[in-house]
Amino acid sequence: MTLRLLGHAFMALAAVVLALPIVVVSGAALNGGRTMLFPPQDPTLARFHEFFVSESVWTTALLNSVVVALGAAALAVLLAWPLAYLLWKTGSNLSKTLAALGSMPFALPPIVFGVGLGFFWAFLGGLGALWAGIVSHAALFLALPLVTISIGLQSIDRAHLDAAATMGATEGVTFRTIVLPQTIPYTVSGFFFALVLSFNEFIVMFFVSASAYSTVTLQIFNSLRNGYTPTMAVAAIAFIAVSVAVFLAVARWGDLPRLMGADQSRN
Amino acid sequence: MTAMDRIEAVEADAPPRPSKPVQARTSLLPGLLTAIIVLLCITPFILVLAISFGQKIEGAGWVWSFTLENYRRFFVGANWPETSTTLYLQQLWFSLKYAIVASLLAVVTALPFTYLLTRLSRKAQARWLVFILASLSLSEVFVVMGWDIIFSANSGIPAIFRATGLTDWLKAVGWFDTLREWGLANPRNVKFKTSEFATVLTMSYLVWPYAVILLYPPLSRLDPSLTEAARTMGAGPWTVARTVILPSVRLPLVGSVLLLFVFLLGTYVAVTVFAAPAQHTTAISIYESVRGANLNAPFGAAQAVILLVTAAVFLGLGQTLTRRAEAR
Repeated sequence: MTLRLLGHAFMALAAVVLALPIVVVSGAALNGGRTMLFPPQDPTLARFHEFFVSESVWTTALLNSVVVALGAAALAVLLAWPLAYLLWKTGSNLSKTLAALGSMPFALPPIVFGVGLGFFWAFLGGLGALWAGIVSHAALFLALPLVTISIGLQSIDRAHLDAAATMGATEGVTFRTIVLPQTIPYTVSGFFFALVLSFNEFIVMFFVSASAYSTVTLQIFNSLRNGYTPTMAVAAIAFIAVSVAVFLAVARWGDLPRLMGADQSRN
Repeated sequence: MTAMDRIEAVEADAPPRPSKPVQARTSLLPGLLTAIIVLLCITPFILVLAISFGQKIEGAGWVWSFTLENYRRFFVGANWPETSTTLYLQQLWFSLKYAIVASLLAVVTALPFTYLLTRLSRKAQARWLVFILASLSLSEVFVVMGWDIIFSANSGIPAIFRATGLTDWLKAVGWFDTLREWGLANPRNVKFKTSEFATVLTMSYLVWPYAVILLYPPLSRLDPSLTEAARTMGAGPWTVARTVILPSVRLPLVGSVLLLFVFLLGTYVAVTVFAAPAQHTTAISIYESVRGANLNAPFGAAQAVILLVTAAVFLGLGQTLTRRAEAR
């Protein structure tokens, strides 16, 4: 009994520590002055207006963030789908190697991939272009939809495939009527994972943007030398809100524990 | 970061695949995919390797070359043999130290948490996972922003220490001097900026949600009848944890530490904000060389290669260790 209580206390403590910086940042966004104080001095919502409406530095950056995240997530899903399908369908060594290579950028320190992409786009002439930023993030986060779509494909009931084959369905028909519908939730989850992580990423963006444009997190990174300001805290709140909304949606319409690799047989 | 592990884990318990021959129509696909992945995911790393042998030209960037100059500079300094410096080796040492301590701390604290998480109902797990994933995706700039306030002298922990009289109490019992020796206090109050403590703690926070996500699959696949059997045979909860749970997740545990370690080698913001300049890491030096004040891309690339090789050495070491443990 005491052990149970101890367990609950430990989980509560973990939740508090996990939430602490987020709470503090949210409070700091209300500061009236330019310094990050907690609890906030002279509380005001003026910083929200600055971030979302009046200061063009932030509104432009926010637009860039949205464009890059949406584009990169879509491209990553488009690349991951055929790869995951190939892996599931053939299980060939080639597809396994490709999946491993495609996951490399995500597994290695981002600063190394960022430096490499900086050189890469300098040669191809995409340095400083928004589309190059989108392609870079798609490569970086390819691993995420690859994993979720693979999990989705593995969860297809073999009996459905056999039934379709017995009734003479071609590969195309089976794909359209069985494979695609059953994997849509997993595809959407993969899209959202890539979206949220791209939204928050800045190191790779720093090297490929070459200061020609900036996203919100990159803008904060670039002004780090002058310290944090309450307007940046507003950005933090907005970004946390987006993440929570996205993952709540994934949990609502998909099976989050299964996506994260929970055992299927127990509930 | 877990991509391959996850895919392999899923594959392991998948039914046998449909073994239809791939149709000729689709045979274009593998070639195209190979081309795209090699171009986007592999070429950047190859470029880093190739440019690390390049040569800097004063005031005009760099040219292709094959010189070991950049590597020599890393190990003994640019003016060797007249003078030598271990500055860059020290930076690598700090990279390793921060990453090892932070990843160990994250995994050790995430293990009991994740175990407890997997024992909750499916619905409660989903709710916790939303919270964990939201904090996992939180940008490093925001995480550091939060801890920056928490550690700041004006409104963070030091202010609380002063206001509650804890500082005076520490001074009275003499522990304050110990804190000063550890670099966690100035003459007036406790301070965490700059300190290794704040750096490591923030880095650990940064990967803690990753640790939970990595440990979640093996722990949730743990057969509850094993622990129940041990309990009915009279084993206490600590004995169960030590003899049943720990051994069965030993491999994922080591794997998680290694993955988080590699990930943390590239930490940038936490180190610039919380570590003293003399204790900066290789990642910062890479940034300075490629885009910062020094503008020496080949040297930056060489440091990036060394960072990757270091990561590879540790991954290999971890693999041999686990394989040896398996064989026994």
